[in-house]
Amino acid sequence: MVRERYGESGIRIVFGDIIDEITHEAVRRFFLHLTSLNIPGIVDIIPSFRTCLVHFDSDRVRYEQLCQLIDTTEADRKNMVLPDVQRLEIPVRYGGDYGPDMDFVCSYSGLSPEEVIEIHSAGTYRVHAIGFMPGFPYLGPVDRRLYVPRQATPVLKVPQGSVGIAQLQTGIYPFESPAGWRIIGRTMMRLFDYTKPPYSVLHFGDTVRFVRV
Amino acid sequence: MITVVNPAFLSMIVDNGRFGYGHIGVAPSSGLDRFACAMARFILGNIDSAPVLEIMGNGLSLLFSEAVTFAITGARVKGTLDDVPVEPWSRTKAPKGSVLKISEVLEGCRYYIGFSGTIDVDPVMGSRSTNLECRFGGYQGRPLMKGDVLELREVYDPVGHISVPDERIPSMGEPHIIRVLPGPEADYFSPLSVKFLSNRNEALFFKASARLNRTGIRLEGPAIQFRDEAEQSIISEGILPGTIQVPPDGLPIINCVERTIGGYARLAIIIDVDLDKLAHIKPFDRVILSVTDSEEAERLLQAKKDTVAFYVKKQ
Repeated sequence: MVRERYGESGIRIVFGDIIDEITHEAVRRFFLHLTSLNIPGIVDIIPSFRTCLVHFDSDRVRYEQLCQLIDTTEADRKNMVLPDVQRLEIPVRYGGDYGPDMDFVCSYSGLSPEEVIEIHSAGTYRVHAIGFMPGFPYLGPVDRRLYVPRQATPVLKVPQGSVGIAQLQTGIYPFESPAGWRIIGRTMMRLFDYTKPPYSVLHFGDTVRFVRV
Repeated sequence: MITVVNPAFLSMIVDNGRFGYGHIGVAPSSGLDRFACAMARFILGNIDSAPVLEIMGNGLSLLFSEAVTFAITGARVKGTLDDVPVEPWSRTKAPKGSVLKISEVLEGCRYYIGFSGTIDVDPVMGSRSTNLECRFGGYQGRPLMKGDVLELREVYDPVGHISVPDERIPSMGEPHIIRVLPGPEADYFSPLSVKFLSNRNEALFFKASARLNRTGIRLEGPAIQFRDEAEQSIISEGILPGTIQVPPDGLPIINCVERTIGGYARLAIIIDVDLDKLAHIKPFDRVILSVTDSEEAERLLQAKKDTVAFYVKKQ
């Protein structure tokens, strides 16, 4: 674990250099533990593939205090029993109007649409981060055979529920939005509801499988 | 109640922002110029969480169907209340039936209007700020449009006159001099390209592109070179308002208030006191980046807080 200051009101904690399960678990452990402490002055904790970014309000807590807290609670974190993750199945309609980039993915990968769907829906993916927009899950790892580059220029609008792939990741756009990933399908499942806690269907660490419908 | 006769280029409801949900991708969506928002509230004696309007462009027109006191802060504007010039950064009483018109923005970009009452919209996830992209918060999750009616709750009549003297109003014109601290991937760039990060006498000169909004501000100018061996992107992770990312084309993007995760190398992080300047960067404005250190940043922030505290006490 490496801790460094991020601007004036951030602390960045790095748990590893690559994307793997050990790093993910360390991030999750840190995130859940620090969240459970309910420290006044911590404004946000943003967990991701290999780091946690702690955003604090310097009016309410000092950088040095937080660093000390982080350093002295390592043992507590190690002993913390982690709660189970949610295992979610997400129904997807692949291809056609639902997946306008299916042709591109096929020609790039040399696979047929059937093969793309089979490979994509065979994987169990980890929620490695939620961001870009509320409830957008960064899911991975995707089978190497489905590797595709991002769009050089993002598409201006994709519909809510669009399922995309890019590099070795897959994700779902919870709102209509611009998109840099290749869209291969769409889900009707609502991933984010701002009117009802906990707002996001998915949480850091959950696993997702896509089910073809 | 207040009727929007003309919403100008873009008007929306903002407050201090939506925090505590960064882990599920919810960005602050706060008012971009926090100092201006805070001063509007202080002038009116509002509570700290009261929402205000954030407005861009000429032509705003509001009809007051009840007597209310308002304050305009942020960008310097020329406006009238029933054809009498209005003094910004101070209290103005609007009689029932009067009309406020903003004819011109003289300096800066976004201006703010607060009222002696709370704009009656429901908080969403703890904030009344508008998340334009996802269409929630603020006024039905969208910008204000002609004919919209804002109801005010708990309208009060502030006694006395309060105004912010000219010398306390920050400059909002260009060039925007933005001070930064080095970002986590500062060493991804060729030392020659980022000399300014190790030398206070150096600076980087850019022009703001036309592609700017509350999500990000793209800068144009000399492309920042990556080191030959450096990755041109990062494994996506958390970013904060004021994080400056550099995509492979070498042209920086300033993260404003609508993103919590980024995937580009982070060159630098804008210091707290200069974040308010992001509200006032217009297309083609000159933007100058220069480096500072944590101690200086903290000292500047304290000075700014003292200004605010001074007014609170005076009140």
